[in-house]
Amino acid sequence: MVSSSSVWFKKRIWVAPILLAAILITVQVLATIFGLSFYRNYFYLVMIVFVVVLVAFLSERVEKVRSLNQLNEELEEERKKLEAANQELESFAYSVSHDLRVPLRAIDGFSRILVEDYEENLDEEGKRLINIIRENTKKMSQLIDDILQLSRASRQEMNLTKLDLESLFQSAFKELEQSHPDRDIRLEMEPLPPVYGDRTLLGQVISNLLANSIKFTSPRKTALINVGFQVGKNEYIYHVQDNGVGFNMKYSGKLFGLFQRLHGQDEFEGTGVGLSIVQRIIRRHGGNVWAEGKVDEGATFYFSLPIRNDIN
Amino acid sequence: MEYDEIEILLVEDNPTDAELTIRALKKKNLTNKLVWVKDGAEALDFLFATGEYVERNTEDLPKLVLLDLRMPKVDGLEVLQKIKSDERTKKIPVVVLTSSKEDEDIVKSYKLGVNSYVSKPVEFDEFTKAVSTLGLYWILLNKPPE
Repeated sequence: MVSSSSVWFKKRIWVAPILLAAILITVQVLATIFGLSFYRNYFYLVMIVFVVVLVAFLSERVEKVRSLNQLNEELEEERKKLEAANQELESFAYSVSHDLRVPLRAIDGFSRILVEDYEENLDEEGKRLINIIRENTKKMSQLIDDILQLSRASRQEMNLTKLDLESLFQSAFKELEQSHPDRDIRLEMEPLPPVYGDRTLLGQVISNLLANSIKFTSPRKTALINVGFQVGKNEYIYHVQDNGVGFNMKYSGKLFGLFQRLHGQDEFEGTGVGLSIVQRIIRRHGGNVWAEGKVDEGATFYFSLPIRNDIN
Repeated sequence: MEYDEIEILLVEDNPTDAELTIRALKKKNLTNKLVWVKDGAEALDFLFATGEYVERNTEDLPKLVLLDLRMPKVDGLEVLQKIKSDERTKKIPVVVLTSSKEDEDIVKSYKLGVNSYVSKPVEFDEFTKAVSTLGLYWILLNKPPE
C-alpha cells in the first residue's frame, strides 16, 4: 500500500505545484474580496508557476502518447516479421513434404531398376550394397514424414471437443495390433474420464504412446500394456505402462527430446520424433508428460490434462 | 505419334518421376497411347489444341489425365480447374498423382472436381503398384460417358 501510493505520487509529481498554485490563488481571491492586496505581486508568480506546471503536464502527456505510438509501430513491425517467418516455415514444411520426396523416390526407384534390369551382372555383394541404399532411403522417407507430423503438431489449429479417451485408445490399439499380426499384445484398460481436447492431436498422442510400448515390448513373448488414470490437482493424470525393455532413469530427461534415442538402430527402429510430438501436443493442451522406467522392467508414460468441470 | 488417339496424358515436370511412372504403366501395357507433357502450360495446349498442338482434334479426349501438382509455369491445380470448368474437357477423368500429402492440396483438388487423388509412395514397389493399379482401373475398368 505504501509503495503503491509513493509510486502514484512519483508518477504525478506535477500535482504538488498545481495544488500549491491553487491554494495561493484561492488566498489571493479571498484577499481581493476582503480588500486586502498584500498578495498582489504574488499573483503573477503563481500564474507563472501554474502555466509552467501545465506545460510540463501537457508535454508529459504528449510524450507518453508519442512513445505509445512508437511502441505500437514496433509491435506491428514485429508481428509482420513473425507472420513472415511463420509463412516461410509453412512453405518450408511444404517443400520438405514435396521436394525432398522426389529425389528419394528416384534413388529408391532406380536402384531397384538396377537390380531388375541388370540382375545377372550383380553378385550377392552388389545386391547387398543396393539394399543398403534402399533401406536408407526408406529411413529418410520416414524421417521426413515424422518431421512433418511434428510441425503439424505444433501449428495445426486445435479444435477442442469433449473426447472419449477410451475409444481413442481402443481404435489406435486395434490399428497398431493389425500391423503386428505375429505378436501377442494385450491391452488392459480401466474406464477413463472424458477430457476436452483436439481429437486428431490427442489421437496422435495415444497412437504414438501405444506404438512406443509395442515397439519396446517386442522381445517379450506377451506384451502387456496397461492404461489407467489418477486424479491430480485440477488435472487427470493418464498413464500407459508396459512390460518392455524399459530405460535407465538417468536418461529420462532425454526421452522427449527431438531426435533423441536411447537404443541403437539395430535394437529398435525409430527416428526419435514420436515422443517429441507427444510432448508438444500435451503441452499445447495445458498438460505435461513424464516417464518412469527401469532397465528390463518396463516403462510407464504419464500425461496430464486439465479437468474441465463443465464436461464431467 | 498420332495425337488423336491418346489414352493417357501424363503431366509431370520431373523426368525421373515420369520415367518411373511410365515404367510402371508399361508393365501393364498401358503406354502405347501415352503422351507425356512437362508442365501445366503444355498440358493445356494439348487438351485445348493450342500452341504446338494446334493441329490436334479437341474432340478426341484422353481417357485419363495423370496430373502432378507442383509444376513450373502453370501448376496442377490451375490445370485441374481449367479442365473441370470447360464443357469440352470436364468429363475427362483426372487423377492427381503427386508427392504432396498436404490436406490442403487434397481438399483443394476435390473442390475443383478431381476424380481421384493419389500421393506417390516413395518406396518403389508401392509406387509401381499404385500407378499400375490406377492405370488399370481408369483405362480398363472404368466406364466413361459416351
